[in-house]
Amino acid sequence: MRHFEETLYDAVCQQFRIDKLYFENKTDHQHLMIFHNAQLGRVMTLDGVVQTTEADEFVYHEMMTHVPMIAHGNAKRVLIIGGGDGGILREVLRHPVNHATQVEIDSAVIDMAKEHLPNHSAGAYDDERCHIIIDDGMNFVRESTDKFDIVIVDSTDPIGPGEVLFTDDFYGQAKTCLNDGGVIVTQNGVPFFQPDELQTTHRRLGNHFADANFYCAPIPTYYGGFMSFGWATDNSELRRTSVDTIRERFDALNIKCRYYNPPIHSASFALPQYMLDMLDGDT
Amino acid sequence: MTSPHVTIGSSDEMQTHWRQLASQYGSPLLVFDAKVLRRNYQELVEALPGVQLFYAVKAHPHAFIVRVIEQLGGGFDVASGGETDLLLQLKVFGRRTIHTHPIKKDAEIRTALRYGVTTFVVDSLYELEKLIPYRGRVGVLLRLSFRNLGAAVDLSRKFGCSLTEAPEIIARARELDVHIKGVSFHVGSQCADASKHVEGIETCCELMQRMNEHGGTPMNVMDIGGGFPADYNRQGVDIHKFCAPIRAALEQLPDDWDILAEPGRYLVASAVTSITTVVGKSIRDNVRWYYLDDGVYGSYSGQIYDHACYPLQVLRTGESFPSVLAGPTCDSIDVIAEGIELPELEVDDLVIGHEMGAYTAATRTRFNSLPDARLVDLGTGEIDG
Ligand SMILES: Cc1ncc(COP(=O)(O)O)c(C=O)c1O
Repeated sequence: MRHFEETLYDAVCQQFRIDKLYFENKTDHQHLMIFHNAQLGRVMTLDGVVQTTEADEFVYHEMMTHVPMIAHGNAKRVLIIGGGDGGILREVLRHPVNHATQVEIDSAVIDMAKEHLPNHSAGAYDDERCHIIIDDGMNFVRESTDKFDIVIVDSTDPIGPGEVLFTDDFYGQAKTCLNDGGVIVTQNGVPFFQPDELQTTHRRLGNHFADANFYCAPIPTYYGGFMSFGWATDNSELRRTSVDTIRERFDALNIKCRYYNPPIHSASFALPQYMLDMLDGDT
Repeated sequence: MTSPHVTIGSSDEMQTHWRQLASQYGSPLLVFDAKVLRRNYQELVEALPGVQLFYAVKAHPHAFIVRVIEQLGGGFDVASGGETDLLLQLKVFGRRTIHTHPIKKDAEIRTALRYGVTTFVVDSLYELEKLIPYRGRVGVLLRLSFRNLGAAVDLSRKFGCSLTEAPEIIARARELDVHIKGVSFHVGSQCADASKHVEGIETCCELMQRMNEHGGTPMNVMDIGGGFPADYNRQGVDIHKFCAPIRAALEQLPDDWDILAEPGRYLVASAVTSITTVVGKSIRDNVRWYYLDDGVYGSYSGQIYDHACYPLQVLRTGESFPSVLAGPTCDSIDVIAEGIELPELEVDDLVIGHEMGAYTAATRTRFNSLPDARLVDLGTGEIDG
């Protein structure tokens, strides 16, 4: 019986049984697997790190999408960097947007996800509002003259292929793609085990935005408790949007979520004391 | 140059075997026998019960070998991004790998982390500080130096801190919140006996216990390195006997410590045999010179870098003459053996090199743009090169 053992930390690791291997890349200088696990459904791993599982992807994708979209209140154009599995795109297209651009570095990722993780995109790639661009995320934000209301950075970890998406330069360039009052949100790791990541991102986002902050949600298979999402915008009011306003907008959407709801939205900006201390220690 | 052990003549069966390989795959050739690797691995496991083996990939970084070690459940010891890459290409899970080079670039650390290595080795304050950004993820071994003039290759001059420096580095690591989980040493390669291993084990045990008394995160990993010898002089290496003093020393350690070893040479040396061909001959000052198609810039590079002297075998028998076996390059240092007595060889005769799996192909050069010896996996017939 084969097992996948996560390799993030020396002293602790989570282990998943591989019940059926659907995909394993053979050639590149990385190790990508999609397999079935009785408890978690389909699981995708990259170089020893869990990327997504069918059982809990809803927490991540709903929170990464609906929090900025509903806080903004009138997002029409959305930019997704990464997110090849299609989960973010699926959630974005549940909103009345006109346009979603997704920038993925490798078209093979999308093809592979469509085939082996079909429930993630759930047909989103066929929606005519979506535009797929195969390019390096850094390159795209540097060169594009398009403007967006929301930028969602659905990256891998800072040690790995997505490294550039955590740089000061990337955040600065991404800002030039935002309309006034727009929001950028980023995947920012599990601060309980990765405090440096929280501190670094805080500093770097703060160099470019009036409001650089975080919100969180626990993703069961991102071991370590709360995952943090970077939140940056020049409209500092967005983060404090009242729960009643959020509820109004959410009700108008008429969608059903499994993790997200208006009180969770508001509460997700309340950070546990250990995270506040990490951010304080960073001044 | 020390004189190699030379075998004159061979059984008909072996002659046919080597000739067939040479005609099928060409010469020069390296022949890998997975059965021998498996046997060596099993013998070392039995000689070192309870010790986790991490094959030192540097000894022979090749897919054929990595695959066998993986099937046997062994781990891997890497020292560079290139070695990490080989394991990544072969989809070896990172948790079975440790990184043991005491000196590395930041990019190297990141490559290893990305692949899934979380054990790193340091031997100075400078190296310790390089791990600060990754302290939430790594477990570190502190490498100590034990000079060994009895080993063919002394690995404690260039690397390893002294016993007196160790407490300062450990204390600093605790301040920095970098987790030092234990110590490592390498008492030198091709050791004559295990006395230095024993000294290393006893000294490190004393150090770890002393440091553990101060409280803080306990150290409980001891990596006893490599050094297990190959049988270059064909007197027979009894690895079980060689390791007896090590077993006795390990008995004295607390039960809940993890013991690791990084064997390279012992595992792979005897699993690879070299076949070369006489391509020319001459007689100078009554000495017969035979020019082979492989030499010290190729598979025999270990005779320069590794101070090894491989056992040789010729297939003919008959009256012996003073002879020299030389490699194919234009350089006069390219001599494999001189001052040896051989029967008269002819062009196209084969010369066999034994115990040629460790630090041979690993250190060859491209001098004279000669092609590398190909490596064939005897069991599967797979050929590389
Ligand atoms: C750090 C380290 N580990 C392991 C080895 C392998 O040693 P041996 O081939 O003697 O077993 C070496 C050899 O150079 C080494 O430097």
